[in-house]
Amino acid sequence: MSASTHSLRALSLRARTHFGDPTRRRGLLVAFEGPDGSGKTTQRKLFKTWLKAEGYDVVTTKWNSSDLIKPIIKSRKAVRALSPEEFSLLHAADFRHRVEHKILPALWSGQLVIADRFLFTGLARDCARGLDLDWVLKLYQPLLWPDIVFYFSVSADTSSKRVSANRTPNYYEAGQDVTQIDDPTVSYERFITRVIREYESLAVIFNFITVDAEQSIGEQHHAIRKLFRDCEQRSWADSNADAVAEWLMMRGGPA
Amino acid sequence: MRRPNDRLIAVDGVNGNAMVAAAKHLIAAEKKRRVGVSYWDASGIFGEVVVAEDSAGRPSARTLLLLYAADLAFRLRWEIKPALDEGLLVVAVPYIETAIAFGRAAGLDADWLSDVFGFAPRAGQRRLIAAPAARSISDRKGFVEFGCQQITGAHSGPPRRLLMRRTGSHLRAASKPRKAR
Repeated sequence: MSASTHSLRALSLRARTHFGDPTRRRGLLVAFEGPDGSGKTTQRKLFKTWLKAEGYDVVTTKWNSSDLIKPIIKSRKAVRALSPEEFSLLHAADFRHRVEHKILPALWSGQLVIADRFLFTGLARDCARGLDLDWVLKLYQPLLWPDIVFYFSVSADTSSKRVSANRTPNYYEAGQDVTQIDDPTVSYERFITRVIREYESLAVIFNFITVDAEQSIGEQHHAIRKLFRDCEQRSWADSNADAVAEWLMMRGGPA
Repeated sequence: MRRPNDRLIAVDGVNGNAMVAAAKHLIAAEKKRRVGVSYWDASGIFGEVVVAEDSAGRPSARTLLLLYAADLAFRLRWEIKPALDEGLLVVAVPYIETAIAFGRAAGLDADWLSDVFGFAPRAGQRRLIAAPAARSISDRKGFVEFGCQQITGAHSGPPRRLLMRRTGSHLRAASKPRKAR
């Protein structure tokens, strides 16, 4: 057994002990997923306000927001220079950087992290662009599973209407890189249908909690509160030990 | 598994300047053939990492390898595949083995590394440049030299020289002909 394998095993054990300690409130990771126009950002904000009132120390992380990688992606999107593989790899890099610099440090210190989109966004969009699910999933390893994934389910029609009511979807949001359709609104309708199909498969595979996003804002919010209360006492997912151990090793051992 | 492309030559190693010199030598030797060349960071991704604020946080080995793969996807799309399609001999400096060796040296899983780079065609010819990393920091122009600087600069991971040495060892091991079972 190599020294690094030995260290990783020791650090996995340290992670299990830390997150399994019943004497303190452990860090929780809650992901909000769904197509554009599903209202998840509105719900995320309401949920955060409620959690803070309930005494939780809350941190939010958004998709494609790492200070290091976001500018790289932004400049390439601006000149429409990304292939599906480059798009996928750069978003996976952005995600990994946020896991290591924002999400895991917050979870380790006992905070509640709300992720406005998580790795499932990458999976749904990349598969809708024709990439292989197994390959894309590999990019996100070692996997870090949220304690809860709320999936905001809307039809492609609703998503298209809500998005186009406010703005014209941008080139990649509309999937114009793969549909080859000149009209961004028409392209969006086509692309979001594919994305939703992928999301629906992921919701079954990964056991998302589906929220009917066609309901009123108040109804959704109260449903989320109840679902969260039902789920928050779940024990820590042991499958997250590898991701935590690698992070601990990277920063030179546990704090 | 796809067959290796005989017109694709991978030049791998830890010393960026030595690899570039070796590639130029290779190109000069192929007087009768048209040769294309593809260098690391043709996409400019790593140039942008260099100029990022320290507060952005340094990338881990895994993040660097995802970025390397994104850069390689760019090189394949704009440089390597078009040149191969035109019938050129193509020299890729560096290619996949350098990245995999760096990842192995940093403790990443070999299967993960080969799966991530599964999108890239296999090179039909490989050259390992044995020169160690440049002594002077200003001469360190290759991915391994850059990557070691990045991940050991801010974190207390494996010391830089050890990481470079390990990368070299993994590259040498990968370049040995495999025994038939």
